[in-house]
Order: sequence, then structure tokens, then C-alpha cells
Amino acid sequence: MGRNEGLNRRNPSNPLGVLVLVAIAGIWEVLVRFSIADVQFLPAPSEIAAAAQGEIFGGELVGRLIHTVGVTALGWGIASVIGVGLGLLLGLSPTAYRYSMTSFEVTRAIPPITFVPAALLIFGFSLKMELVLVIYGGIWPVLINTIGGVRSIAPELRDVGTMLRLSTPETIRKIVLPAAMPSVVVGLRLGLSLCLVLAVVAEMVGNPEGLGNGLIRARQALQPALMFVYVIAAGLLGVALNAGLRATARAFLPGNALKDVSAS
Amino acid sequence: MTQDRASDIAPSTRLYERIRLDSLTGLLPLVLLLSVWQLIGDPESPFFPAPSSWWPALFTLGQGDKIIPAILDTVRTFGLGLLGATILGVALGLSIGVSRTFGRAVGPTFEFARALPPAAIVPVATLLLGFDETMKIVVVVLAALWPILLNTSSGVQELNPVLLDTARSLRLSTTRTLFGVLLPSVMPAIVLGVRVATPIALVITLLVEYLTAVNGVGALVGEAQRTFQPARVYALIAIAGLLSLVVNSGVRFVENAVQRRRVGDQ
Repeated sequence: MGRNEGLNRRNPSNPLGVLVLVAIAGIWEVLVRFSIADVQFLPAPSEIAAAAQGEIFGGELVGRLIHTVGVTALGWGIASVIGVGLGLLLGLSPTAYRYSMTSFEVTRAIPPITFVPAALLIFGFSLKMELVLVIYGGIWPVLINTIGGVRSIAPELRDVGTMLRLSTPETIRKIVLPAAMPSVVVGLRLGLSLCLVLAVVAEMVGNPEGLGNGLIRARQALQPALMFVYVIAAGLLGVALNAGLRATARAFLPGNALKDVSAS
Repeated sequence: MTQDRASDIAPSTRLYERIRLDSLTGLLPLVLLLSVWQLIGDPESPFFPAPSSWWPALFTLGQGDKIIPAILDTVRTFGLGLLGATILGVALGLSIGVSRTFGRAVGPTFEFARALPPAAIVPVATLLLGFDETMKIVVVVLAALWPILLNTSSGVQELNPVLLDTARSLRLSTTRTLFGVLLPSVMPAIVLGVRVATPIALVITLLVEYLTAVNGVGALVGEAQRTFQPARVYALIAIAGLLSLVVNSGVRFVENAVQRRRVGDQ
């Protein structure tokens, strides 16, 4: 059992676990139906299912989902390009590293969440605000993991590049990037989930679109069942994005990068 | 979903250790940026007020005496949340690690709960629990729990089985096995989990405060934003950053102390 395993990844079929999940839903249903647990605003699973059906086929769920997925993917893509580029620079150039790394560390310590109010003041309630926030947050994990990956490449490996008289772009493409890839992919994965979280937050407080806004709307309209639908949709979206990234990495990356990705 | 496992943070940790050597020169770009900002920034700008206007903005309109209580509120929610996450995470992690059946039974439920974005949990929590300290702590616990739980359970699973067999052949009581054998041997894994959970707990504390406007630094930032006080927003962002630096180096200090003691033991 490796530390990199999830709770139980090795056996995907887990009847006992599913049974427990169903049992929880069943008990929850009974408790709410017969008002045994008298929690105000707690909808029964059947009500949530009904609300989900209505929202998927007649409501706004699909449109909102597309908006959130689009912003998350776009922001994550831009953030990844910036993060990998800057990470290569800082990882390969000791001078750049010496004269800027602490600045990045200090800035990184500020939780991206606290930039939400600043972004709101600067960009107003707009798509731009959401996108800027998603990009800003997504850069950090990619940047840090790229630097870490590049700096931990064995010096011998780089000597091979020098020996073969590879040009700098060739060295980066053929030696540095492949060697740093496992670490970069970890950064990309962390970045993706962070981008999704920031997109949802931005939609909750700023840009009035997407899943986050749907959640807030349902909250304000006192429709708890609908609210649960959006919470679950956001959770499932996170799982789906992560699984998609893992499958992509597995399909396109060779050897050791693959092992690391599938394990985590 | 979030930064959960040891492998995810390993590169940045190595990085951190190297930085200390050449840390001051590395501040250059930040100092430059702030200086240029100061030179060309207008203190009245609605977007980018000059840095010199940030500090005074904390105290205008008699708001100065809100700062310290807000910081204390944030620290308390963060501390209680992290404590709750640690207790719950260790208890559940040990149970999952010791009993495979229990692990399989709760696996899918936990995987699903872990996938829920903390921000999305906030509206639900406010609806069910109301706008109070308990709600804040519950959300923080739900978000910070997972790295501790996962590290603890895999820590138990990686233990040498001889260790528990020895405890059994010595006929140690369950309590003594738990506190004398199991907990001390998985302590490094627990500490690692807590270290990963710490920044998460702080971020989520600020997030909850900002979203619900219930006390703390996060609520103050939100208030400053809604009343259009940009300099105050930037000042509070800086405070949040400082808080995060202090908390993270504090956890690293504790982690190093624990590891040193273990090395001394052997």
C-alpha cells in the first residue's frame, strides 16, 4: 500500500462502500421524511434528485456547467503556459533564481482568496475578473513544481546535453522537460483543482454566471434542494476534470511520468 | 483535489530549504515593484493606491480598533478548525489504516465528500448551521481533514506488521497499543498531514469569513471592498499574507522539532 494511493484505488469495484453510501442516503431520507431529525432547510435525497432532474432538463444547470468548465479550462491553460515558462527560466537560470525567488515565495504566501476583493474593485463584476483570478491562482502550483522538477534533474543528464552539443531549445525540449515532467504534471493537477475552486468563488461573489452563481441564487431563493444540486455538480465536476487530466497524461506521457500520475 | 499528499509538496519543500541562503537578493523584484508602484501610484486611485497609503488606511474612520480583534478571530477559527481536523483526521485515519473493512466501507463516501469544493459547502453550512463560529469551524474542519486522514491511514498501512504483532504477543491492552505503539510510530505521517493541512485551514478560514462576513480578517477585507476602500483592501491582503507566512513557518518549526526528537530517540 503506497502513500500515493487514494482511499481505495486498487479495487475500483467496492460493493460494501457503495452499500454504505446508499445506506447513508436511505437513512437521511427516512430521517427527513418522518421529521426525526428536525433540521430546518435540510432536503431529503429524493427532493434533491427531483430538483436535479428539473434543473438538468429544464433549467440552467447545463449552461452554467459549460460556463464554469470553459473559464476553468481557459484560465488553467493560460496559467499553465505562464507557470511552465517562468518555472523553466527560474529552474535553469541560477541568476534569475537568486534575484527573484524570494519575491515569488512571499507573494505565494498570500492566499489567492484574499485577492478576490481586490480583483472585484479593479475589474468589477465581470468575466475578466473571474478569468484573472483563475489564472493568478493556477500559476503558483505549476510554477513551484516546475522549478522543483527542473532543479532536481541530475547534473549528469544536463552534461549529456552539453556533450551532444544540443542548442538550448533542444536541451529544454529533449532533456529538461521530459525529466521534469512528473513534477510538472503534479503541478498541473493541483493547478486545475485550484482553478476550479477559484472560478466557483469568483462566480459566487463576482461574475454572475456559472455554477457558483447558481449556488448563490438557490441559496438566496431558499431552495435548499437546488442548492445541493449545485454543490454536488461542483464536486462531480472536480472529480471529472481530475480524471480527464489523469487520462490525458497517461495517454501522452511516456514511462515514469505515467507512473507518478496514475498513482496520485 | 487540494494539496493532499506528501509527493505533491515535496519539490516546494526542497526549494524552501535552499532559499534561505540567497533569500535577501531574491526580494529585489518585489521591492522594485512596490517602489515603482509608490512612485507612479496615486494615493486616491480607486484601483492601485500607492503602498504608503495602505497602512494609514487601516486606521481611518475609527476602524483601527477592529484590526486586532479580527486577527484574533481568524487565528482562533483557524486554530480550532485545524485542531478539530487533526483529531477527526487521526481518529478516522487510524481506523481506516487498522481495519481494511472499515476503509472499504467508508471509501466512496469519503472520496465524494473530499471532492466537494469548500467554497460550495459554505452556503449549505450557513443554511443549516447559521452564521456563527460553529459554522466557520465546521467548514474549516471539512476542508482541512483530508490530508491528515490520508497521511495517517497510509502511515498505518506502511508500518511493519511485526510492530503490531509484537504488541499482541506482549498482550498489551488496546489503549496501550494505541498510545504506546501505534500513535508514536505514525507520528511523522500525522505531522506531515498537519503541515499540508495548515495552509488549507488558513485559506478556508479567510474564505469563509469573506463569503459570510462573520468576523475575522476575511470579513474585514470584504467590508473594505464593499465600501470601496482599496488602500484598506491592500493593507488587509498584506496582513493576511503575513499571517500565512507566520503560520507556515510555525508549522515547519514544529515539524523539524518533532523530527529532531525522533532522530534523538534512535
